[in-house]
Amino acid sequence: MSKQTKFESYREMPIRAMTVDNMLWNETGSWRNVKPVYDNKVSPCIYGCPAGENIQHYIQLVIDRKYKEAWETIIETNPMPAVTGRVCSHPCMDKCTRGDYDETVNINAIERALGDMGLDNPEWMTKPEKSKKEKIAVVGSGPAGLTSAFYLARTGYSVTLYEAGETLGGVLRWGIPEYRLPDSVLDRVVEFILSSGKIKVEAGTTVGKDIEFKKLRNNFDAVFLGVGLMKSRQLGIPNEDCKGVEPGLDYLRKVNSGQVSSSSDKAVVIGGGNTAMDVARSALRKGSDVTVVYRRTRTEMPAIASEIEEAEKEGIKFRFLASPKDIVTDGDKLSKVIFQEMELGEPDETGRRSPVPLEGKTFTMDVDRLFTAIGEKGDLDGFKSEVDTEWELIKVKGEFGETGKKKIFAGGDIVTGAASVVEAVAAGRRAAEKIDRVFNNEKDPPIEQEIDFGIENINTDYFPKSKRVLKPRIPASEAIKGFEEIFKGFDEQMLQKEADRCFSCGVCNYCDNCWIYCPDASIIRKDDEYEIDFDFCKGCLVCVEECPRSALSIEEEGK
Amino acid sequence: MKKVVMGNHAVSYGVRASEAKVISAYPITPQTHVVELLSELVANGEIDAKFIKVESEHSAMAACVGASAAGSRAFTATSSQGLLLMTEMLHWAVGARLPIVLTNVNRAIGPPWSIWTDQNDSLSMRDVGWIQIYCESNQETQDAIPQAFKIAEEVQLPVMLVLDAFFLSHTYEIVDLLDVEKVREFLPPYNPELKIDPADPHSFGNLASADYYMELRYMIEEAMDEARGIIKRVGREFGEHFGRHYGMVVPYRCDDADVILVTSGTVASTTRAVIDEMRDEGIKIGALKIRVLRPFPFKEVSEVLCSAKKVAVLDRNISFGNHGIFYQEVKSALYGKTDIPILGYILGLGGRDVTPKVIREVADKAIKDKNPEPYINWIGVKK
Ligand SMILES: Cc1cc2nc3c(=O)[nH]c(=O)nc-3n(C[C@H](O)[C@H](O)[C@H](O)COP(=O)(O)OP(=O)(O)OC[C@H]3O[C@@H](n4cnc5c(N)ncnc54)[C@H](O)[C@@H]3O)c2cc1C
Ligand code: SF4
Ligand code: SF4
Ligand code: SF4
Repeated sequence: MSKQTKFESYREMPIRAMTVDNMLWNETGSWRNVKPVYDNKVSPCIYGCPAGENIQHYIQLVIDRKYKEAWETIIETNPMPAVTGRVCSHPCMDKCTRGDYDETVNINAIERALGDMGLDNPEWMTKPEKSKKEKIAVVGSGPAGLTSAFYLARTGYSVTLYEAGETLGGVLRWGIPEYRLPDSVLDRVVEFILSSGKIKVEAGTTVGKDIEFKKLRNNFDAVFLGVGLMKSRQLGIPNEDCKGVEPGLDYLRKVNSGQVSSSSDKAVVIGGGNTAMDVARSALRKGSDVTVVYRRTRTEMPAIASEIEEAEKEGIKFRFLASPKDIVTDGDKLSKVIFQEMELGEPDETGRRSPVPLEGKTFTMDVDRLFTAIGEKGDLDGFKSEVDTEWELIKVKGEFGETGKKKIFAGGDIVTGAASVVEAVAAGRRAAEKIDRVFNNEKDPPIEQEIDFGIENINTDYFPKSKRVLKPRIPASEAIKGFEEIFKGFDEQMLQKEADRCFSCGVCNYCDNCWIYCPDASIIRKDDEYEIDFDFCKGCLVCVEECPRSALSIEEEGK
Repeated sequence: MKKVVMGNHAVSYGVRASEAKVISAYPITPQTHVVELLSELVANGEIDAKFIKVESEHSAMAACVGASAAGSRAFTATSSQGLLLMTEMLHWAVGARLPIVLTNVNRAIGPPWSIWTDQNDSLSMRDVGWIQIYCESNQETQDAIPQAFKIAEEVQLPVMLVLDAFFLSHTYEIVDLLDVEKVREFLPPYNPELKIDPADPHSFGNLASADYYMELRYMIEEAMDEARGIIKRVGREFGEHFGRHYGMVVPYRCDDADVILVTSGTVASTTRAVIDEMRDEGIKIGALKIRVLRPFPFKEVSEVLCSAKKVAVLDRNISFGNHGIFYQEVKSALYGKTDIPILGYILGLGGRDVTPKVIREVADKAIKDKNPEPYINWIGVKK
């Protein structure tokens, strides 16, 4: 109805109750004032994943045992699920609706299972259909560089991948230890990515040193910089360069390339991030007695929570609210470290409480080796003049890694500062897609707004409570004996069991409930969709109510 | 063409003559023959109509509602419990202003189970908004049908025709059967302006707020009032076409009567025989048959009765806690117009025979009785 009908006298009225205007706009007549519409939403987990993996969708494909399609779905947004399925901090799971019901779906474990299946089935990978004339240089083979190379090559571009190191993978290779991400897995991931199209690898080539940046700019149609953070930050205290003090990253490099032998000494790791945890746990495995000293409290530790838990289980000691103040040497060798005790001060503008020294309170520890893991910074020497920088990071102008300089794009840690693998993956893909759009003169897609979706949108009567299926593991007491991968993958039964826990938030999974419940048989079931016959639907909304997952919405009629 | 037919079949022939387009009914004793014959007439092509079999009287009326709303002339017949089951749809037909015609064969309501006549079934629908016409003979039963459609279609209200079970429904009489062609001149095909039309869809019977509900009810009452004149005019016109005239009431030897017996249905004929007998004895008595109960013929009833010295109403029904229903109606018609005694008698319930002897008993009693006391006069109850 466009307007209210008004009569001054009964003589203007029809003798029977009826609509004065005709009802062609709503053929069930005036009874239906609201109507159900099929309206798939974006599941919250998808917003949680920085790479935007279509998690809901691939889990449903897993349930249907369409593993190849499930894998293909992941690969649309992340070429290394076997890596992220092992080391990602899985922010997707923080968003998982099921967390407000019993336990979040173990998305990360499902992702890993699919990633590993992809590695076991190299034939799943298809080659690009077309090849494009443009050539692109990718600098750095960490997750950002590898990902951008993958999507560019898959689209048909010729990619040259420059890597300073001899092997590919960046932090994945020389940072994250074997017990979390075995080399054998990384090798296959790298191999898979390199097989995605035309990718030429220039390893052992530092851009800005071995090859001038200008050359790249001149010889290529676009350059992507994914150079990560190569330099360890320094403590800035006396005697920092004595024997026995070592940047954690350097130590990890050595451990990961098999250059460290066992020693039963007393080691201290300074820092609270992933590097600190990996250094501590690696040193522990090499025989050291390890204490992590962090200047804030456990709550503020930036390392992935489960990594901290594992470290504790393995027997790493923690000393919070302390910061090294002085290093005492014995000759040129480290012997003691004097620590300043700290307390948490007022929250700063980011809301984080910064540590402030407790006047006059110090303590001393006998230490054989001191590892610094207080953060990494970029090494921009080779191309400082080519891009805008700030705090030794590259400044980007848009959402897609545009540096503002013609042809030059950047992403990953070198843009964000120390972040995560999945964020580097996301940045690599976004830049690759942007480069493609630039070549094709296409507009950027709109940035999707996250919608509100929570447990209140789930009809929980349909879901019995259940426990999350966990990745099988070797116990901590075994794990510390070597570098064997701690967590194992799901077998198919576990995979099915866990996938089955997914609510399929906001997305129709053809459960037929709406169709079954419609009291007027107004829902027509087609092969892969439902249609509402609005000649019969009376707008009771039973279908909307009975959809377990809010895949139907309500619309007002005549609006 | 004259033929000896049973009352129920007279109804069927009336429907045939009226060219109803949709007939939907559920059989119930003592109405069954009505639809039985109609189904045959439809089957053999004598009536060009859709015969809809249903599983209950509620559905029968619902089908008529739909058909009538779509612009078809719709008919159904029922009785007693069947009529009661229809109740919701009877209201619907009125509210939706649908000119459906229904013949109800008066049958007593159970329990105790009874298949014989009294008027409580149709009278319990007195206030629904249907025009109600009580028939006395098989001829009238047939003739009432085309008249009913004509009235209904003019005022857009449904009409209920009523006849006594067995005394009329199963009784054979000579009936001058109506000729379809001739009836067509009297009753043209129904083609309403307002009807369901898929090309111009409207929503019917939808929600009306308090802003307009009363206006819609007001219009029903206005139509009911208008029907008074239309029923009389249609009765006259019918007479012009077929030689048989019908009115709201039928007075018999009332002009100089001291006592007038008020009746309805088949009791009216029996009463007239008793009147003749008593007149022969020199008793100044008359009878008034009420043919149309709704709209109630206030004017006609009071005009006839005000000249008498006493009125006795014979009710084949009882409104528990009050009195016979015709009695109440007559009293209200005479209110403020006269102060003669108005006496009420309940008789013939559940098919108990109302013979000339019974009526004579009532007449004699009425002549003697002074006041409308006792509260209710039950005739023939074994006390
Ligand atoms: C020890 C450690 C553990 C971590 N654990 C986790 C974890 O469990 N989960 C997680 O999500 N994140 C973790 N992170 C963070 C994560 O690894 C990084 O955020 C991510 O690797 C950044 O990817 P990137 O591609 O930007 O850079 P990087 O992975 O750092 O790769 C940069 C690459 O560029 C190369 N390069 C640099 N300069 C040049 C040049 N001039 N020419 C050619 N090549 C060059 C480097 O050799 C390197 O291979 C960890 C980080 C560290 C250090
Ligand atoms: S239940 Fe499934 S769809 Fe919903 S948030 Fe969790 S993983 Fe995503
Ligand atoms: S249950 Fe059926 S009739 Fe009711 S709103 Fe849903 S589709 Fe319409
Ligand atoms: S009830 Fe089931 S089939 Fe219907 S929309 Fe919801 S998920 Fe899809």
